[in-house]
Amino acid sequence: MAVLEISAPITRPTRLPPIVVELWRDKSGLLGLTIIVLLLLMAIFAPLLAPYDPAVQAVTTRLKPPFWVEGGSMAHLLGTDQLGRDVLSRVIFGARASLLVGTSVVALAGTFGVLLGLFAGYKGGRTDAIIMRLVDIQVAFPGLLLILLIVSVVGPGTTTMIVVLACTNWMIYARLVRGIVLTIRQSAYVEAAEMTGCKPNRVIFKHVLPNLSSPLLTLGILEFTNVVLAEAAMSFLGLGIQPPATSWGLDVANGRDYIFVAWWLITFPGLSIAVTVLSINLFANWLRVTTDPQEREKRFARQKMAERRRSRSPLISKA
Amino acid sequence: MNSMKNYLTVAALMAATAVAGSLSIGLAQAADISIAIGSEPSTLDPQLRDDGGERAINDNIYETLMARTADGILVPGLAAAAPTQIDATTWEFKLRPDVKFTDGEAFNADSVVRSVERIIDPAFKSEQGSYFGTIASASKVDDLTVHVVTKGPDPILPSRMYWMKMVPTTYSADANFATNPVGTGPYMMAAWDHGQDIILRRNPDYWGEAPSIDQVTYKFIGEPGTRLSSLVAGEVDLITNLLPEFVSSVPNSAAVPGLETSVIVLSTENPSTADVRVRTAMNLAIDRNALANDLFGGYGVPAKGQLVNPKAFGFNTALDVYPYDPAKAAALIKEAGAEGATVTIVGEAGRWLKDRETIEAVGAYWTAVGLKVDFKINEFGEYLNQLFDKAHRPDAIFVQNSDELLDADRPMTSAYESGASYASNNDQEMAKQVQAARVETDTVKRVAMYADITKKAYDGSYLVPLLNLEDIYGFSKRLEWQPRVDSKLLVKEMKAAD
Repeated sequence: MAVLEISAPITRPTRLPPIVVELWRDKSGLLGLTIIVLLLLMAIFAPLLAPYDPAVQAVTTRLKPPFWVEGGSMAHLLGTDQLGRDVLSRVIFGARASLLVGTSVVALAGTFGVLLGLFAGYKGGRTDAIIMRLVDIQVAFPGLLLILLIVSVVGPGTTTMIVVLACTNWMIYARLVRGIVLTIRQSAYVEAAEMTGCKPNRVIFKHVLPNLSSPLLTLGILEFTNVVLAEAAMSFLGLGIQPPATSWGLDVANGRDYIFVAWWLITFPGLSIAVTVLSINLFANWLRVTTDPQEREKRFARQKMAERRRSRSPLISKA
Repeated sequence: MNSMKNYLTVAALMAATAVAGSLSIGLAQAADISIAIGSEPSTLDPQLRDDGGERAINDNIYETLMARTADGILVPGLAAAAPTQIDATTWEFKLRPDVKFTDGEAFNADSVVRSVERIIDPAFKSEQGSYFGTIASASKVDDLTVHVVTKGPDPILPSRMYWMKMVPTTYSADANFATNPVGTGPYMMAAWDHGQDIILRRNPDYWGEAPSIDQVTYKFIGEPGTRLSSLVAGEVDLITNLLPEFVSSVPNSAAVPGLETSVIVLSTENPSTADVRVRTAMNLAIDRNALANDLFGGYGVPAKGQLVNPKAFGFNTALDVYPYDPAKAAALIKEAGAEGATVTIVGEAGRWLKDRETIEAVGAYWTAVGLKVDFKINEFGEYLNQLFDKAHRPDAIFVQNSDELLDADRPMTSAYESGASYASNNDQEMAKQVQAARVETDTVKRVAMYADITKKAYDGSYLVPLLNLEDIYGFSKRLEWQPRVDSKLLVKEMKAAD
């Protein structure tokens, strides 16, 4: 018993809010968040961090390898690209467009899709039929054609691309959400809330929406990766980001032709995409458990079990 | 990097052994080769599409009245001699006797008349129509004599006939003609496995020198990287459009000055580029030698101040490359009060070799001398809309001009003649000069007229000519071939060593 009392202060060493303590305990979630924050800082402070202007070219010193490879130099830590631009600086600046487009599209498409899905699932009947037929129509309509239509009218650019990608990606959220809402709607607590006279809006946002957080987080992460890659494809075709700005995906697409002679052109922006997605994934995994009451309970039980095992073992050894 | 090279060497060695192995197994098939082409032809009708894949194959099945040597010199093909001009608009072709199509039909005046009438028929909607817009009709004089009549005087008709493939009189109306082509050429159709390959066999009754390769297989490989690895793995013997960076990783390669010239067309009317000093500065700002030697690895030559191909009729030998003088360019821009002025450059990506890189490099050179460059890399369809939009000319637009007929008329019509195609100047006098040169049949006078035009455009910096590009081909070790200036893949000129 005495041992248990000793262990209590260790779990709460400081007076940090409980949520922070929870995150501190989940090391992989913490690592994910740390990397995300670092990436965001890198994107915001790109002009201070980057050793060169990412658009400045030196055609005569093109395709120089990273410094640790023979022929590379400390002047360009990650080498130079097909026009002699500094790869490190381009990776740092590329974070801006990639993160901006990725998060805005997921946020825009997610919000729109979730709202429609919620109302369709909750109201049912004609509302449901109309909204879901809208989804069907949009799904059936070729995405690339829609993109071409919008871009040819508005003209290419980052904002256009965000809007366009949001327009072609919201349907999957609506479908997912509607399905789950249909099940939740039958649950006892929703019925109870309705019986006590809650207005539909309150039921939807206070009782239904929180239960959607874990599937939505998972979907959002998957979609983020898709969006980053879609952005690359669009920019490569000339429908998105215009030079001298760049993005990770665009640099991967541009470096593709040189893969056999200059692996560093696609490796570093590609790694950046991978690290971003991985860290979001780690963090979101923690967030998913934290926001889901049932999962939280399970995690809490696991932790308690672990603590008990730890505290019991010295006693056993003494006996 | 080293390990990468090692892998490639090992791969190449393995490929070589594989090829050697397959050769020792089947000596009877020693003279078979395969060629990788970028896309499967949608039709093998030689007169309908203007498509590289179709041309690569049909250039071996069909022949034309006029041909070119590997060096680009116009010589008689199916014609017995160079055509004679009877009057300003009539050309007489004497035909080679005893030539037969591979289905047995004779090649004669009727075939020529049929070929001409078929391709110029507006209802046929040939994509090659632009090459033959000046031809009015053709008529048979006797079995081996044909008159081709043009709408006006047309000095480059012989060059046009180098582009027009001769089709059989009756079979060309057959429903199978588009899938089972029949020509007079050194090769004939053997098999077309849709989605896989097209196989041609040697024509045993060919009228010319018998080719040494018995059978050629065309494989459709769209992705450049896959084409390269197929060559390294020994699956194909020849690939086109090899990137300069990969020359060292293929078993063998050859480069030849090609037909393509990259250029940026400047608007003389838009406010930002209206001042000739600004346009001159835009020319002086670009280090073409660096582009040619570094970006294109030496497989390109700085263009000599004009869009006309150095091998083409009408090339102005008096002009030289715009010098690289960034200090003077910056001074000119300052003098014109255009410092910080925004110039829009329109381009595309992925259509031509290193197009995006070239555009970005040029933009950076312009930025370096004090302009502000607004890049518009468009999707290809939208790019074409802007290229041909006569009402709204972009300040600067990148284009790569291919001079298939090797005559100054095509680049002139494209980029010099105001209002004709994608020229961005408003020089009506020059437009009249181009039109006059087009119908001038005296070759000496015509050369002089083109010299005037190119000189004027050079002084006024109507264009920013960049590079004359070379075509690079990757070969397997066993293939012997000298690539041609006109980039035709003529299998009859190839040899495969055992």
